[in-house]
Amino acid sequence: MRIRVLGNLAILCATVALSYGMQVTKPHYAELTAPVPIDGAMHDTVRARSFDVRLDKVIFARRLKTDQFGQEKLLTTSGLWAVVTTNLTAVGTSTTVADGTWQGPTGLRYHQTERLGYRQDMPPHGVDPGLDKRGLFVFEVPPDQIRGARLLISARQFGPLDAQARISLDGLTIGADGQPAGILPEFDLDAPPSQGKS
Amino acid sequence: MSAVSTGTEAAADRQAERKWRRRGLVALAILLPLTLAETSYDSVREWLRGEDLVAREVAFGQSVPFGGSDWKLADLRGGKAGRLPGGAFAVIATFTVTIGDPDLQKQWLGCKLMLTDAAGRRWLPDFISGVSLPEGTMNCTSAIFSGARKGDTVTVGDIFIVPQDAVKTIRPAVGLSGERPWYLRFQRPPK
Repeated sequence: MRIRVLGNLAILCATVALSYGMQVTKPHYAELTAPVPIDGAMHDTVRARSFDVRLDKVIFARRLKTDQFGQEKLLTTSGLWAVVTTNLTAVGTSTTVADGTWQGPTGLRYHQTERLGYRQDMPPHGVDPGLDKRGLFVFEVPPDQIRGARLLISARQFGPLDAQARISLDGLTIGADGQPAGILPEFDLDAPPSQGKS
Repeated sequence: MSAVSTGTEAAADRQAERKWRRRGLVALAILLPLTLAETSYDSVREWLRGEDLVAREVAFGQSVPFGGSDWKLADLRGGKAGRLPGGAFAVIATFTVTIGDPDLQKQWLGCKLMLTDAAGRRWLPDFISGVSLPEGTMNCTSAIFSGARKGDTVTVGDIFIVPQDAVKTIRPAVGLSGERPWYLRFQRPPK
């Protein structure tokens, strides 16, 4: 009889401990429904659920030249402009790819710039199956967030359980001072896509 | 005497308990799937309402009632036009629709014209600079607000960009919210 009582007490204690443990380690809802990462490298085609993306090149510049409603604008930044050129294709159905995030080596996240206004080659990118599309993502990042950074691309900004391409930018040449090699003083977004190198 | 009767009662009790335990297990096996079905019913219905899943095949020249109106493929033509990326073709699909129920804002909600190919890929309408719809052709949204009345015949169509390898097998299709998960898939016009 006594053993039975002790046994029951032990089971009760174990249950309380287990329940408490589960309660404190319970993941947040946003974590449970977070995007599903699909890893890849530069110049590889990364297959997300609804689209394929290949990171072709990254250009760094101190100023960005763009044409807005017939007016030339020169955008400056206290960090660096990173102009990422990607090649996008839809997998099964025409869709849009709208979200790009630059994730620094320490996990800091920089969302794509909204200072450029509407442009055809800027997100949201309308993509079709079987047709390659050149799509730009432009970021403003501090120079120390470039080495070991990753580019996150997904169909929309809040896509629970949707795929997110996570491309590591390990192919970049970084100088001794920690800054990327070949920073352009100025980059013209409207010039034909051949200037600069990756 | 009394000891014997207690023993029989205890045995009967145990048997009854075992019977109820078994019934409980059987009930669980039935109730669990039922609960699952009940709680997911709304989500499943919502999902089915949003997806063009089951094709209803329509022969060329045939007119089929869909969303309160009669749909018929009028034309499917493609070619190199406007400013297109390499390896891409512009395709225009047009339908002749005889309006039955004139409440198009309700009947044609979520109207989607698309092209499908043999591999099951789907293309949605696109904009191509330098290419416009033929005279008198509207896209779905314009048609909904065109004020068409019962018995009117309207031409609905849209422009698509498809890759060269799909051009040979593409077929036009139409989906409407009220009809999903069914959609219409039209046979190509004979060459």
